[in-house]
Amino acid sequence: MGVESGAIEAVDLPQPPAGRRERRLIREAQRGSQQALGELYAAHWRRAHRAAYFVVHDGPAAEDIAQDAFLAAIDALDRFDRRRPFAPWLHRIVVNRAVDWGRRESLRRAVGDSEAATDTAPPTESIGGDLMEALARLPIEQRAVVVLRYLLDYTPGEVARMLDLPRGTVNSRLRRALDKLGDLLEGQR
Amino acid sequence: MNEERLRALLRETPAPGEEAAAQRGLRIAREAFTRREPPRRQARPRLGLAFAIGVLIAGLTLSPAGAEVRDWIGDVFTAGVPNAERALTDVPGGGRLLVQTRDGAWVVQPDGSRRLLGRFQSATWSPRGLFVAATDGHTLSALDPEGNLRWSISAGAATSDPRWSAGSGFRIAYRAGSALRVIGADGSKDGLLGGSKDGLLDPQAAAVPAVWSPQGLHLLAYVDAEERLRAVNADTGEVLGSAQTLPGIDLLGWSADGSMLLETSPRALRIRPVTTSKLVEELALEAPRNVRLPAGASLETAAFSPNGAAIAALLYSRGRAGKPAHSEVVLIDPDGSPPRRIFSVSGRLSDLAWSPDGRWLLLSWPDADQWLFIPLGGPGKIRAIGGISGEFSPGEGDSGFPRIDGWCCPAASAGSG
Repeated sequence: MGVESGAIEAVDLPQPPAGRRERRLIREAQRGSQQALGELYAAHWRRAHRAAYFVVHDGPAAEDIAQDAFLAAIDALDRFDRRRPFAPWLHRIVVNRAVDWGRRESLRRAVGDSEAATDTAPPTESIGGDLMEALARLPIEQRAVVVLRYLLDYTPGEVARMLDLPRGTVNSRLRRALDKLGDLLEGQR
Repeated sequence: MNEERLRALLRETPAPGEEAAAQRGLRIAREAFTRREPPRRQARPRLGLAFAIGVLIAGLTLSPAGAEVRDWIGDVFTAGVPNAERALTDVPGGGRLLVQTRDGAWVVQPDGSRRLLGRFQSATWSPRGLFVAATDGHTLSALDPEGNLRWSISAGAATSDPRWSAGSGFRIAYRAGSALRVIGADGSKDGLLGGSKDGLLDPQAAAVPAVWSPQGLHLLAYVDAEERLRAVNADTGEVLGSAQTLPGIDLLGWSADGSMLLETSPRALRIRPVTTSKLVEELALEAPRNVRLPAGASLETAAFSPNGAAIAALLYSRGRAGKPAHSEVVLIDPDGSPPRRIFSVSGRLSDLAWSPDGRWLLLSWPDADQWLFIPLGGPGKIRAIGGISGEFSPGEGDSGFPRIDGWCCPAASAGSG
C-alpha cells in the first residue's frame, strides 16, 4: 500500500505475537538474529508509533519517540526478562515520553515559541480527522490514558501502573475524556 | 462518547506517513542492532571485567588495602566508561530520581521513564516521595510526581532551595531572596510558623540549603549571614543552638539518626555531634571533628548514607606536574577511620546521590554525558548510562546535562508526605 507525502491511509494494526512466539523472537534477537528483530519490529512498530502520534499530534515527534523507544529496547535486549511481555514495556516508554514531549512543548508555547505551536496543528483532511481534532483538544494527560485504554487495550489498572497513577485518577480522566470527546464530536456535526 | 466507537475510530485512523516512518524506523533499528554489543556468549570478557571491577570495589569498600588496584581503576575510565548503555531503561537499586535541566524538573521512575513536572529551577522530594516542592521565579509550589499542581504561593522574592521536613512532612523550608522561610506543607501560612506572621525564620540567611532533622521534630539547621550554624525550632523560631561553622560553607547534612551534622566547604569537611532531647527543647552542637582531605583536592559534594553509617564525598583534583585532573569518591567513616577511596576517574564528576537502600551511588560525568551507578558492598557491576543529556531533551534542542536533585523512596505509600 503506497503512501503519498503528507497523505493518510487506513492501515490495520497487526496483532502482537502470542506469548510463546514472542518469547522465541526475543530469545533469537538476543542471540543476534536480524530476522527476529525484524519480526518484533513489524509486530510492534505501528501501534507504538500511532500511540505516540495520538498523544503528541506531531508527526516528526511521534516518529522520534517511537524510534527512541525501539532503540532503548534494543539497548536493553540482553537484560530483558523473556517471561514478561514486550508490548507493555515498550508502550510505557512510548506514552511517558510522549507526555514529556507534550509538556515540554506546552512550556515552550507558554513562553512564546510560536513555531512549536504551529507544528502541533492536528490534521483535518484525513480519515478520522474529526476525532484527531477532538483528541488534540484534550489535555495531554487525558490523551495518554485514552490511547493506552482504547488504542492499546490496557485495563484501567494496567494504565494506572504504566503511568504511575492512582486507579481512580485513571478512571476519572477516562470519563472526562469520553465526555469531552462526545461533546466535541457532536459539535462538529 | 461510546467506548466501542472510540476504540474503532482509533484503530482505523492511521498516523500521517505511517508506512514511510515504519521504513525509516526499521532502517535505524537494524543499524542500532548491528552496532550493539555482540550476543551474550561473545560478550563475556566485557561482563567479566565489569564484574571484576564491581567485586573489586566491594572489596575496597570493606578493606583499606589495595591501593595499587585502586589506581588501576582510575586508569580504566578516562573519557567515560566504555560500552556504556545507550539508554536509561531502569534505575539500578530502584527508587525515583528528581532531576533538573534547563527545561525544568523531571521525575525518573524506577523503569527509567521520565516525566517533566514543569518549568522549575529547584525541587525536592517530600519524605515519602508522594509530593515534590519546587521553585520557579517568586513562586513556591507543591505537586504530585505526575506534575499535578497542589498549591502555589508567591513569596515576593526569588525562591530557591526548598526542603521538605522529615517524618510526617508537615513543613517546607525555602529561601525567598536572602530570607529563610517556612510554610505548612499544605501551603498554609500558619501564623505561628517560624514564630512570625509570615513564616520568616531569618531575614538574612547564607545561601546554603537548610536541612531538617530526620527525627521529624521540626528542627531545622541552617547557616546565617555571619556563617554561624543555627539550629531552630521551625514552629516557634526559637534558636536552640548555634556555633561558628566553616568559612565558605556550602552544604549541610544530617545523619539518619539526627546525632551528627555534616558541614562542608570546597576545602574542608566536618562532622559535628549533636545532642538533642526528645522534645527538642535542649540541643547541644558539640565541637566538630575535621576530616583530612587529600592534599590539593577540592570537595565537590558529600552526603550521609541513608543509614548514616558512612559519608560519601566527591573530590576533584586539578591536573599538575604531569598528573591529569581526576575525580574520586571516598567513603568516610563518621567514627574516625581513614577515608577509603572507592572510585576514581580521569576527568570531572559532579553530582553524588545515595540510593534509598544505600547500596548504590549515582555520580554524574557531564563531559562523558554519562551517569555512573556504582554498587557498594555487593556483587553488582558498575552501570554506566550514556547519552544522558539526550534522555532529557525530548524532541529537538539541547536541555544541557541534568543535575540530580534527589533519589527517593522505592514506592509511594499512602498517607501524608
